[in-house]
Amino acid sequence: MNNAKMWLVVKPTVGVPLFLTAVAVGSFAVHVAVLSNTTWVSDFLSGKPIGGVAALEAPVPQVANAAYVPQGAQEVLVVMPDGTTARAILQMPETVAALE
Amino acid sequence: MSNDPDKVWPTGLTLKEAEEVHSYLIDGTRVFGVIALIAHLLVAVSTPWLG
Repeated sequence: MNNAKMWLVVKPTVGVPLFLTAVAVGSFAVHVAVLSNTTWVSDFLSGKPIGGVAALEAPVPQVANAAYVPQGAQEVLVVMPDGTTARAILQMPETVAALE
Repeated sequence: MSNDPDKVWPTGLTLKEAEEVHSYLIDGTRVFGVIALIAHLLVAVSTPWLG
């Protein structure tokens, strides 16, 4: 308890409010940091469910890139997100230009 | 101003008074700590903070 001697140097009427203000400012800063670095605090404040699975799902990419298609292939079987398959017909750029 | 030999300047408190003030500050800090601990436990349980 040797820290108690600080009150022989700092008046309690100055030191105590200063100490409490420092704790309040620190606590406020932590709350602001958490609020601005998470989604679930603002979700909670706006009434949305906290951290629901829907919040974590990555948005489905609209365009999928086919990796390798063998030379001369005309059609490609594509598996859609819902599990069904679709047939994609491949048209070379020059034939597409000719069609326009 | 009674010139009490135990008074220590610049604040003019005696060591006993300083230790009394300090004990209140420490008790208050402990209460703050307990409340903060409970708050952190509640947040850890009910939010995705720790996964």
